[in-house]
Amino acid sequence: MDVLSGPVAGVFRAPDVDYHAFAPELVLVAVLVAVLVVDLVLEGRGRRLVGGLAGIGLLAAMVPVLTLAVDGANRSMVGGAYVVDDFALVFKGLFLIAGYVTMLLSSDYLADDDYYEGEYYFLLLSSVLGMMVMASSRDLISIFVALELLSIPAYMLAGWRKRDLKGNEATLKYYLLGVFATGVMLYGMSLIFGITGETVLTEIGSKLQGPGASLPLVSLGIVFVIVGFAFKISAVPFHSWAPDTYEGAPTPITAFLSVASKAGGFVALMQLVFIGFLGRDDVWQPMFWVLAALTMTVGNLIALRQTNIVRMLAYSSVAQAGYMLLPFAVAGDLAKGPGAAMGPMTTYLLIYAAMNLGAFALVLAVARKTRSGEIASYGGLFEYAPGLTVLMSIFVFALAGIPPLGGWYGKLVVFKTLLDANTPWAIVLGVIAAVNSVIALYYYASVAREMWMRPVPDGDTTPVRVPAGLTAALSLCAVATVVIGVYPQVVARFGDLAVFSLLP
Amino acid sequence: MSELLRAYLTVVVFLAAAGMLVGVSLGMGRLLRPKRPSAQKAMTYESGVDPVGSIFGQSQVRYYIFALLFVMFDVEAVFIFPWALGLEVYGVFGLVEMTIFIVILALGLLYAWRKGVLRWV
Amino acid sequence: MVAQNIAFGVLAAATSLAAIRVVTTRNVVHAALYLVVVLASVGALYILLTAEFVAAVQILVYVGAIVVLLLFGVMLTKATLGEDDQLDNDQRWLGAVIALFLLGTLSFVLVDAFGDDKLPSLEGVSRATLEAQRGSGAVGDAIFSTFLVPFEVVSVLLLAALVGAIVLARRD
Repeated sequence: MDVLSGPVAGVFRAPDVDYHAFAPELVLVAVLVAVLVVDLVLEGRGRRLVGGLAGIGLLAAMVPVLTLAVDGANRSMVGGAYVVDDFALVFKGLFLIAGYVTMLLSSDYLADDDYYEGEYYFLLLSSVLGMMVMASSRDLISIFVALELLSIPAYMLAGWRKRDLKGNEATLKYYLLGVFATGVMLYGMSLIFGITGETVLTEIGSKLQGPGASLPLVSLGIVFVIVGFAFKISAVPFHSWAPDTYEGAPTPITAFLSVASKAGGFVALMQLVFIGFLGRDDVWQPMFWVLAALTMTVGNLIALRQTNIVRMLAYSSVAQAGYMLLPFAVAGDLAKGPGAAMGPMTTYLLIYAAMNLGAFALVLAVARKTRSGEIASYGGLFEYAPGLTVLMSIFVFALAGIPPLGGWYGKLVVFKTLLDANTPWAIVLGVIAAVNSVIALYYYASVAREMWMRPVPDGDTTPVRVPAGLTAALSLCAVATVVIGVYPQVVARFGDLAVFSLLP
Repeated sequence: MSELLRAYLTVVVFLAAAGMLVGVSLGMGRLLRPKRPSAQKAMTYESGVDPVGSIFGQSQVRYYIFALLFVMFDVEAVFIFPWALGLEVYGVFGLVEMTIFIVILALGLLYAWRKGVLRWV
Repeated sequence: MVAQNIAFGVLAAATSLAAIRVVTTRNVVHAALYLVVVLASVGALYILLTAEFVAAVQILVYVGAIVVLLLFGVMLTKATLGEDDQLDNDQRWLGAVIALFLLGTLSFVLVDAFGDDKLPSLEGVSRATLEAQRGSGAVGDAIFSTFLVPFEVVSVLLLAALVGAIVLARRD
């Protein structure tokens, strides 16, 4: 009874490994191993060195991403399970930059208190690696493993403040709901695999085009998979973890979760829906319609009542996910084919990344002086920190979608997609989105009113000292937000690139 | 029944034999022994010392880390089996891939060792 | 085929009963031990389906490692090891209704999709033919070709999980 029997020689052929295509991931693996080893050797004495190494590593991984982009070829490897195309590269770039900005935000935050630094950077890099892999994964197992790699370090990082009860609550809620959602998603994947017998998305896509694909089993599988990722992007009703986790986690990690982790979820959804489930828009389109409408409305309405800036931004980022879901809800009705919905989503995600990272960077900067997360503590910020006030105004009005700041262009392309679809359902959704934009303006503007018009609550007007890393992050995000608003072509180009080559 | 499953019949037979061994010996004992329970007899046997307190003591977090290390290398073993069976088929390519896999995992052991979580004092 | 069906019936019943006990027992340690029965029976079901490697992994990883981890986790907590009335909450009826609904839905869709399918009979099929059909060492071949990337990523994943767990669990 030999349980394991060996393979037959001659059947197996080693896959051709395209090292250029894997280069960004390989660089990142090398850096994260180096970070761990250096931290072990120096035993916490080289804190600055480890942080610098991690930052340089993220930038170094950007180099092969750029050379691959210049090269421009679509590289499909290991039987179509791993693909490096323009879509993957655009998102790999986004993840690396978001990771780098998080690193900039973290360095002073970590130095202020007695946190484990080496491990922090190691886990952050691991999570970024998971996202990089996710952007190229075109098969169910790769997507699952990438999702785990981007999530598990994030669960740990959310609870990095070990002695803080809110930090414990943050990590526990995030972890328990996260693994539950992953379980649901895996069940869905197993149903899809059971009916198609394939894990590679292109194969699943072609099997789900035929008449046999209309089984209820397939529909249920698709619903389960989407529910799993709806948790990741904190879409209502799977958002309940987000405010508590965002509030309890270290603020740089909150920024990372709200931008990079969310983008990771969207990347996975786009790959699954637009390649694997393309033929079943009768299932996912209504589902996304409901998710988008609920996410925008609930997120914005609850954000209105928040008094803590981090919780407000948490609900705002829930609502923003709703806008990003809009193109999904009409993708099947687009004249140019469902692929036309991908550009607007990518565009919105890129813009959202710049403005939301900026907003959290500012929260960090202000909290260095006020030690408070209450919106009321922003009173009279203009009197002692005019620069920060202007920046925060830029970020909140960009999030609200006021031209000429970045956000308006994201909203524009998304609304344009709804109009292109031109179905009654799309118009209704457009009206809901428009109403929501007005609601959102109210709470974004209330932050600005607090900063510009209210008096300083405790009368302390010593200037805020902003360290170099934070300044760099703030200027990066502010420049991106303003430039995108004035020259939206910059980001529109990326949006156009990020369409799968195989789509109509 | 197929050849494959017939092979597993051995397992079932042994399982049944093991169950019978326990059942028969305990059953015989119950039939033969006199039955005079007392508080002394019901007490847990602690090498002649009277047990004190509750059976539950909160255990140290060290156990957990050891169990976690065990899970990690257990999973590693699962991946090594299929590779070991086809060692020649997968050749240098397989060797390189497996080496990367094992080295990265071994870093975990290195980390645990350097951080002193393996010390048992 | 008859023997297989009987074996399946016994195993399925054992799995289901033990699974029900996992969630109904008031003793956490008993729940973990019932889980062993569930996981081992599922492993046996894999053998009935001729998936021997998966069965071996099931026993090795789940019964061997995960349950141990679970028990250590229980021992770490301050909860008492005996019966605990506080394991239930007021929403258990709601939970039961949803669970039954889910059971009904899943049973329906699974029967709808696979109800008429029959597993190929293994009567008289020799081990060699079986392996030739399945492709011997299919697991290894898949790991080193299609699933090469997830395979390598798993090592980083396990490393990250260990490092994170040590940081969070350490006393300092």
